Amino acid sequence: MAFRNLRRRPLRTGILVAALSLMVAALVFALSFVTRVNSSIKLTSDRLGADLLIVPTGARGGAEDILVENRATSFYMNKSFVDRIKKIEGIDKVSAQTYLVTLTGLCCSVPSSMVVAFNQETDFIVAPWMKDKLGRKLRKGEAIVGSESAYNINLGMVEMEAKLFGSVFSMVGVLDKTGSGLDTAVFISDENIEEIIKNSEADIKPDQISVIFAKLKKGADPYTVMSEIENNIIELDVVMRKDIGKSLITTLGDISKIFYLTMVLSTILSLFLVWAIFTAIANERTREVGIMRALGAKEKHVVTLFLFEVLVLGAIGSIVGIIAGTSLTLIMAQSFSILKNLPVDLTNFTRTVIAFAGLVFGTGICVLGALSPVQRLKKLEPLLVIKQE
Amino acid sequence: MPQIIVENITKTYLVDKVPIDAVRSVSLRIEKGDFISIVGHSGSGKTTLLSMIGGITRPSSGKVLFEGEDIYELASDRVSEYRCEKIGFMFQFASLLPILTVKENLLLPTVFRPRPAGQEAAKAEELLHLVGLTEKINVYPAQLSGGQQRRVAIARAFMNDPALVLADEPTGDLDEETEGDMMRFFKTMNESKGVTFIMVTHNTDLAKQTKQHLRMNQGTLQTV
Repeated sequence: MAFRNLRRRPLRTGILVAALSLMVAALVFALSFVTRVNSSIKLTSDRLGADLLIVPTGARGGAEDILVENRATSFYMNKSFVDRIKKIEGIDKVSAQTYLVTLTGLCCSVPSSMVVAFNQETDFIVAPWMKDKLGRKLRKGEAIVGSESAYNINLGMVEMEAKLFGSVFSMVGVLDKTGSGLDTAVFISDENIEEIIKNSEADIKPDQISVIFAKLKKGADPYTVMSEIENNIIELDVVMRKDIGKSLITTLGDISKIFYLTMVLSTILSLFLVWAIFTAIANERTREVGIMRALGAKEKHVVTLFLFEVLVLGAIGSIVGIIAGTSLTLIMAQSFSILKNLPVDLTNFTRTVIAFAGLVFGTGICVLGALSPVQRLKKLEPLLVIKQE
Repeated sequence: MPQIIVENITKTYLVDKVPIDAVRSVSLRIEKGDFISIVGHSGSGKTTLLSMIGGITRPSSGKVLFEGEDIYELASDRVSEYRCEKIGFMFQFASLLPILTVKENLLLPTVFRPRPAGQEAAKAEELLHLVGLTEKINVYPAQLSGGQQRRVAIARAFMNDPALVLADEPTGDLDEETEGDMMRFFKTMNESKGVTFIMVTHNTDLAKQTKQHLRMNQGTLQTV
């Protein structure tokens, strides 16, 4: 009966389904977007292995671009800062890295990506991800690639050597998946930097590095150490592990507010629409409900009939919305710059949870909107409507 | 014991905040197998009295006892069960649901039964045959004439084997011949199955064919 009732007025049913679909699609997209960005930031922060990230003043965003968003960028400071940082109270160990950006066709045979030169003696950032893969230290002229880069340059399938900044490097291994920006980089020992400078026009001097990772002594307060560094060395910016991605979160926060506002408005609109349509439906079917009640229908029969109708509408609208929202997320992930560069994609489990949330929300709104008209219908005194005839 | 005892029932409506008595202090005792007709002018309270006996509108005062049980003392669901299992309604308008076929309309009261009786489909076909609409079993009400719709509604009233049929001008849309057929059908059900009938009609010729004639006048009931 519910299906036949819905088919009575196809245009009205269509409008209601379309409105619900739009609302659920917006919800699924917003949840997918926010969840993906938050997961990427959290994972990057959790897996970094350093308590503080020290970069040249003004390069904080650049560092986050690399770590969180996989964006290739370069910035430099003098290597001498490593020794100054080491001397600061509370610092346990430090390790420096130098970032170089490859340019397809000019210097290098790999697609545009990040080359990270690191010091193997002091490193505690890359090593945990490569030990099992290589089992020894990198030699000069050797490189190891992040899991995503390995796929990008067909490592293990087509070529085992690549030209980087005029020098040929043997790709000797693949890093474990870190879930951070490191996955798209190529890693070399910093012993190669001098040769790179000699063989290419890389815009870097031998005594330059990009970033210093610092691990704190047990019990050291990160805020105190950060203040100490920033107060004593004005040429440097310090990012705490938990603050990585903060600028992205701030930007995201504004985007989220717009999403949530849109959600609230579309929810109110959908609620009003469902209420208005079900009030109209209830008015149209007053006589039918009166007849059914006179023939022996209980209140629960009336409620069940309308509830089933509402649930069918809600489920159809929600499923269409989930498909539209998920498709939108996948399409936007290819063109939306924030999403395109994030290291973490949503898992199937997370997608299922978001889809389920969309289904519950869509059908919930439908039930909520129809509640008052259905309540009125079930309390109807049959004679009153029969006598209206 | 009478099957139905109506004890001093009154129904008052508020029309523009002015109380109007549609039915005034009516008392009635109906035995099982009675066939009663009620005649009266429009607005005399016939339909309201029928509805109070059938459990579809609560009296403002007084009692309706069916087989000794005051139906308005029952919980809402039990009153629905009373309507479903004991009463067969024929309304004064064609009361079919437009989205259901003729057969589905006939089966509708059985859906609300707490315990399905079984053989419902066969019963629907048999009743349709008795009202002469076998060939219309799968059509929708919109494809029927007013008289045919009325006959389907008559058949539907017998779907749950009611003990009491409340018929509110049941032959209003029917031609003379079909009206006669339906009246014979009612008499057969009354005599062979012992179904009690209370029939409201404007047609005095029809009323004369019943066992007991009553008249409603300005909310009160008089024996003719």
